[in-house]
Amino acid sequence: MRNTDLFDNYLNGNLGTQETSDFESRLAADEVFANAFNEHKTLIAALKEHNEIEKLKSQMNLIHEKEFGGDAKVISINKKDSFIRHYGKTALVAASTALIVVLGTVAVLTPGVQQTSNQITELGLKLKASNEAIVEGIKEGSQKPVHAPANMEGSAFALNNAGYIITSYHIINGADSVFVENKGLERTLAKVVLTDPRLDLAVLKIDNKEVTKNWNVPFSLSGKTTDIGEKVFTLGYPRKDMVYGEGALSSLSGYSNDTTMYQVSIPVNPGNSGSPLLDDQGNVIGLIRGKVTSAEATGFAVKSIEIIRSIHDQGADSIRTSGKKPMAKGLKRSDQIKRINPYVFNILVYKND
Amino acid sequence: MSKPNLQLTDSQYLQGLRVGNNEVLTALYKKYYNLVLKLVVNNSGTSEAAKDVYQETIIVLYENVKKPQFELNCQLQTFIYSVAKRLWLKQLKKNGQTFLFREDEEGEIADVSEDVSLHEQKEKDFEKVNQSLAKLGEPCATLIRDFYITKLSMDEIAEKFGYTNADNAKNQKYKCLQRLKKSFFDSPTVEQSEIERK
Repeated sequence: MRNTDLFDNYLNGNLGTQETSDFESRLAADEVFANAFNEHKTLIAALKEHNEIEKLKSQMNLIHEKEFGGDAKVISINKKDSFIRHYGKTALVAASTALIVVLGTVAVLTPGVQQTSNQITELGLKLKASNEAIVEGIKEGSQKPVHAPANMEGSAFALNNAGYIITSYHIINGADSVFVENKGLERTLAKVVLTDPRLDLAVLKIDNKEVTKNWNVPFSLSGKTTDIGEKVFTLGYPRKDMVYGEGALSSLSGYSNDTTMYQVSIPVNPGNSGSPLLDDQGNVIGLIRGKVTSAEATGFAVKSIEIIRSIHDQGADSIRTSGKKPMAKGLKRSDQIKRINPYVFNILVYKND
Repeated sequence: MSKPNLQLTDSQYLQGLRVGNNEVLTALYKKYYNLVLKLVVNNSGTSEAAKDVYQETIIVLYENVKKPQFELNCQLQTFIYSVAKRLWLKQLKKNGQTFLFREDEEGEIADVSEDVSLHEQKEKDFEKVNQSLAKLGEPCATLIRDFYITKLSMDEIAEKFGYTNADNAKNQKYKCLQRLKKSFFDSPTVEQSEIERK
């Protein structure tokens, strides 16, 4: 019998009592034999562990595909207050979360150690200031009606005067209730009417005539593809206040060469998902969907023509206005924003775990 | 009403993971995925990177529960978070991305340095087996797997691979194993090759 067969038999418990004790005496007496055995044992154990890990990995990949496979490959840029539930008792955490992203950007993009640390320090001060502001806010907030923190937040914008609005599917996915609000609008219930998980789109309706009776949406979805290099801007709710961002259209395809998306050089942040992407004249040319890493001023937006097609394919053309001349055309950017502002919303999603 | 998710205690999760119960693994996987997703995505990562970090974290946990003397000294959630954070920081460092994490979470972090370094060792072995099996080629790699993992008998192996009898199969297995041993033990580990370059 070869030594390896003997090793296997011993390890598998296939030796008789006498053989086993002979084997063990030999291990104790013969160093070369013992070394060969230990090598054998190590290799077989490594093989078995390798197999177990392979098995675990493929199990996990199946689970992942089944449970989370529908999730967009692009990072979903939304803010989830569940983070607060996990990691802290106050909103301070949320504030520092957002700012750390900024710090990261500086650390990565700025060459030179000295400069980097300077800028971090500077931002660190802002961080502190903003945390203090939030603490103030919490104190003041105690007199106002207190809302439970939403499970997920993002942005949304109006499609027409009838109260239809659009956002990212990943924001409202799994929602039990969805609310919208902005500076001129108290928290109002909206219900999901259409979804397109493939393009990560969801259309909602604000079913409250009081709210929508005076609506005059100043923009519509552009039916054309915009050219590379065009100046673009976005308005959204990465935090409670509307935030403006501008840049250029940098590519006609998005993450992984996905031609349903544009790439834009606008820094987008958690909460920007669902924000409108507008061109210089104030046409909506896309809907901000995500970004690849937080460290780059790069965002991705679903193209307006894809949104139009998706709505059309679901037989719902009437939920959007088309070919509308943008009312904000020719205006100064700040005046454009004043017009657009009331039709961009912060969207708050509640889920029952 | 949808079927409620499987609710288990930490030790039930660990026991299920130890014995490879797929239902428990599914429940465990679903339970903490968002925790790690959030951690990575909020700190310069993509959801793909989060998936990798999360799966590696579960592997670290698995390797630990396989140890006979393993005891979890903190909540499972804390363990998972701490390991994932460590793995992600390592990854960022490797990419040359210095990054700051929030200080206020430090209090909830468990010391998992030993668990992670055990994993790093095991990961090297895993890679070594990968390389050795690749170098070994077919039919050897499958033959070795069939014998040691699937536990096929020599007769079954002879039939599967078309050898005339079990003795013949045994000879083949012996030759394959010798080659595997050679490549597994002769392949320099990372540290050794680094020393050699110096």
